[in-house]
This record gives sequence, structure tokens and C-alpha cells, in this order.
Amino acid sequence: MSNQGGVQYSKIAEIKGPLVIVDGVDNAAFDELVEIETTEGEKRLGKVLEVGNGKAVVQVFEGTTGLSVSGTNAKFVGKVMEMPVSEQVLGRVFDGLGRAKDGLPEPVADSFLDINGAPMNPEQREYPKDFIQTGVSVIDGMLTLVRGQKLPIFSGSGMSHNILAAQIARQAAIIGTDDSFAVVFAAIGVQYSEAEYFKRSLEESGALKRSVLFLNLADDPAIERIITPRVALTVAEYLAYDLGMHVLVILTDMTNYAEALREISAAREEVPGRKGYPGYLYTDLSTIYERAGRLKGKKGSVTQVPILTMPSDDITHPIPDLTGYITEGQLVLGRDLFRQGVYPPINILMSLSRIMKDGIGEGSTRADHQEISNQNYDAYSRAQEVRALAGIVGKAGLTPVDLNYMNFGDEFEKKFLSQAIDEDRTIEETLGLQWNCVSKLPKNELTKVKDKYVEQYYKE
Amino acid sequence: MSSNSGLESTIDQVLERNSSEFSQSLKNSLTDAQKTLSDSLPMLEEEYEKIISDGKKEADKIEKQIVGSADLQARNKALLIVQESADKVLEKAKEKISNMDRNSEYSSLITKLLTEATSALDTSDVIVFTNSKDKDVVQSAVSNISGAELSNDLIDCMGGVKVTSKDGSMSFDNTIDARIELLKPLIRKDIAAQFNLGN
Repeated sequence: MSNQGGVQYSKIAEIKGPLVIVDGVDNAAFDELVEIETTEGEKRLGKVLEVGNGKAVVQVFEGTTGLSVSGTNAKFVGKVMEMPVSEQVLGRVFDGLGRAKDGLPEPVADSFLDINGAPMNPEQREYPKDFIQTGVSVIDGMLTLVRGQKLPIFSGSGMSHNILAAQIARQAAIIGTDDSFAVVFAAIGVQYSEAEYFKRSLEESGALKRSVLFLNLADDPAIERIITPRVALTVAEYLAYDLGMHVLVILTDMTNYAEALREISAAREEVPGRKGYPGYLYTDLSTIYERAGRLKGKKGSVTQVPILTMPSDDITHPIPDLTGYITEGQLVLGRDLFRQGVYPPINILMSLSRIMKDGIGEGSTRADHQEISNQNYDAYSRAQEVRALAGIVGKAGLTPVDLNYMNFGDEFEKKFLSQAIDEDRTIEETLGLQWNCVSKLPKNELTKVKDKYVEQYYKE
Repeated sequence: MSSNSGLESTIDQVLERNSSEFSQSLKNSLTDAQKTLSDSLPMLEEEYEKIISDGKKEADKIEKQIVGSADLQARNKALLIVQESADKVLEKAKEKISNMDRNSEYSSLITKLLTEATSALDTSDVIVFTNSKDKDVVQSAVSNISGAELSNDLIDCMGGVKVTSKDGSMSFDNTIDARIELLKPLIRKDIAAQFNLGN
């Protein structure tokens, strides 16, 4: 930090995109918070990106529109950006920079935390485990979310990812314990109507009381998006590690975050990487995703569900590609299912929850959970093959077993995969539906489940 | 006569046969109806259970919604009270500070504020601004710093100083107003604690 915060500089050398270059600065620090004051007295926030040779490069979160070289002042505050936190943040709505947006005063802070988060000692990390029930069958049954996990949703433009995100936020719960549960929802660059939908949806379901919303709208300055996930995660960490809550953080849409990063990178004239994104996109994304987890000796946990839209549904695009390296699986929304009107249109064959096995089974969900899930995966994959075959030889050319698999595929999509946007299914209901689907197949086709489970749950 | 009795017997036979067929058909229908009824009983029970469970779910949802929104409303009202109280306390404090005696204690405060400002700017070649009430106190403090000058222009503040480097490129606001603004969140927290509100 600068020796002493509060010095205001009035020599602005240059304004370049979202950056302001301040002259005559000797002792500013990297990441230091800066208050930019316009000629009209309006104050905007920024942070130091580079210091050296008497100059400081300041990234202005609220954009540089309307700023001029003369008359603009930059006050170096002497600390990094902090988020005031307390239990009172629950039930509140903030903007993308963490300022109250619901017409109420700022919450009375218990402490002020650096938005970049406290570095987690890898030795102190505890392996994610224990089940989070989202009430969405396909997630709970086949792609289970585990406390402390980071499980992104890969979507495409126009698909129902935001509806799914709101449904998860409303319904998510910890089953079988009295531990407190909270949802931190960060909307990054979303439309006003979507932001309103999130807010209303949480209000109407009564889930707002245990939620914190950070809303950065599509028409808010793009640079603000760099901060939104960080303030959201700061609050999540406080609720988890200081108040002992299990916190689910939903970040939508991380593609907008990466776009903002690209904008800054271009303004700084950095050497571009793939598709113009900065070479450090992986490192930067990891500073967000790696804030999920559990710590030894701490009761709470931070679970992340980042949502990103893949440009042109391209899963090899740098954003999903690099996200996939860091996270523990992914839920992929399928365009074909979406077009068929299936909600949620999760393509299970492209999706995976890597640490699902640690959150399910006897004592967490039910002893047959893993096996019935594997059986459904197997059968659905076979159903897809049979459908492809039927496309060539026609239904008449299929064997009776093939027809059984076709029936299974239809039943799976209609009864198990599809559910209403306000339908909250318990894990028992979900597992029951999985058994209903596989019961469309002859018993001898159920090779992934033990006989005792077939005897117990198979429906004749 | 005989032809009539023959006809009657034929009619009787047909009637008898039809009657037995009819009664068999009735029996079958009854059995079918009973079977359908007994088959649909578990389905009916299942449906009944589903309706009851959906109803419970809906009731839980509504309860959550009502309780959640009532809790939030109560909390938000408390938050507004804290804010109102904090504003009142701050106003009173500001009024007191504005009207406090410019005694020796205040003089040493001004000296401290001035020293802090010049050290933050890393130069003593500065122009110092203050309000009309503090002008004399600040003047005597400025005279102890070589290179520092007191500006004739007055600023609107409760007290303290605002210092600018002589080339105008840097300034440091060390007025009491600026310091209160800086500490406002902490002051609010203290006030909330005094009223046993907030956390």
C-alpha cells in the first residue's frame, strides 16, 4: 500500500479504454483502491494495475465515460478493495461492486474483508464430501453436487441456464443436518429482466432470507464484472468460515467476466492469447474457482456453480476449456434437448460430477444411488445408439430389446430428466424415478446394479 | 293352435338362451368392473398420497415464504432504525465538534493533522486550506513548517486542514469531515452495538 492512504493526484497523463494513467505517483501499491473524482464531483472506484516510473495505471470499475484528462482527480485510498461483511448481508441485494441496491442502508459491518480472499493453505483443505440436494432430479441423481465442490454449468446463448440457476438457488438444501445453509448469487452482465427474475424468484419462494444477491447488469460497466465474483466469494467465505454456514455460490455468466478481462487486457496492450483472451485467463479463472472448498477445523463450506455460455455452443472455446481444467466436472446443457422442450436440458452423456461418489451412498443418500445412476447412464447411452440405428433401418428393423431401450430413452427424458421449474424433488423421489425408467428394461439387462437392489426396487 | 305353441316354445328358448347369455355377460361385466375397481385402488391411493404430499409441499413453501418475508421485514426495519440512530448520533457529534473550543488540545490536533498531511504528500512545500474558525490555530501551526503557506481561500468544513502541493499535482484532505467519513462504517458499528442492534 502507499505509505499513507488518502493522497489525491490531479495529473492524469492518459485515459485509455477502462484505464486511467496517473502521473507523479511514487508510492502506490498493486491492487490499491483508487477513488476517481470527475470534474462534476462524481466518484468512481478503481484499482491499481501497474506502478512504476512515477506512473500508476488505474483500472476504473465504473468505466471512464465522461472522464477528461483535466479536472479528474485520483485519490489513492491506501488499502485494497474491501467488502463489509456481517450476518446482515443475508437477504440483501447488492450491485456488482458490493453496494446496497435494495434501497436499504449498507449493512452494519462485522469486519471488512479483502475481496481477493484469504489464500487457502492447501494443507488445510479438506476433501469435498456430503450431498447437497438441489431438488433437480438429473443433478441429484446422476451429477450430484457435493459440499465444497466446484461444478460449472456449460450452456449456450438463449438456453435455460438462468432458470435452472434460479431453481437451484431456491431449492438447494442440506439434508439430514441442522447446519445453516446460504446461497450467494452473483449475476454478471445479465439483462435487467433476468436480474428481476432472480430477485423475484427468491423473494416469492422465501429463499431470499438465506440468500445474498450481487447484480451486475448488462448495461453496467463491463469492468465492474471483474469485481462481482470476488465480492460475492468474499461474502461466501465469511458466511462459511466465520459463521459456519454451508454456502452455495452461483456465478452467472462467467463468459461476461472473461469478456471484461479481455477488454482490460486489450486496453493494456498485452499480447493476446487464444481468441484474444489474455494468456493468464487460466490463472485468473483459477483465482475465482479455487475459492470453493472446505477447511480443516471449520464447519462451513463454499460450493460453487459457475455458469458460462459457450459462444456458438463451442465446448473447445477457451472459457469452457480452461474452466474444465480447474473445476470438478461439468453440467452441459444440450441444444437438441432444449429444442425438444426438455427442461432442464442437461445432456448427461457430456456431463460429469467428478466427486459425486464422495457425496452419495449409504448414510448420505441411499445405498443403491451410484449403481442406479450408472445403470441409467448405460441405458441412456444405449438408447441414443438405438435411436441413431432406428434413423437408418427404421423401427421395424429393431429387436425387441432395442425397442425396450427406445422406450427407456423416451421415459427417461419425459419422466426423469424433465421437471417443472418449481418442482422440488426429494432424493427419494429422484431415485424412485430412476428405478421407474430402468424398469422399462427386462431385468436381465440391469447389469450395473446388484440383484438385491433389483429385487427391492425394480417395478414389474 | 299347435303352430302357436311351437312359436311360443321357440320364443321361450330364445329368451332363455339370451337371458342366460345376458346374465353371464352381466356377471362378466360385474367381475370386470370389480377388477378394474380393485386394480385402480392402489393407483387411487398413490394419486391420493401424491395430492396430499404435493399439498404439504405447497404448504411448506407458503410457510417458508411468509416466515421468510416477515423475518426480512423485521430485520430491515431494525436496520433502518440503526441507520437513523447512527445519523442522529453523528449529527450531534459533528455539531459538538464544530462548536468545540479552539484550545491548546485542539491546536495540537491541528498540528498533528498538518504533519500527517505533509508526510503523506512527502513534501513541506505546501499550501494549507482551512475554515474561518480554525484560521488562527492553523496559521500558528503552519508557521512551524518551513515551505508551508496558509491560503487565504477558505474551505467549508468542520475543522482540520486540506493540504495541496505547491504545483497543485497532489493534495491531502485531512479535515475532520474527511476523517469522520473514513471512519463512518466503524462508528456505525459502535452505535449499533450501543443500541444492541445489528449483529
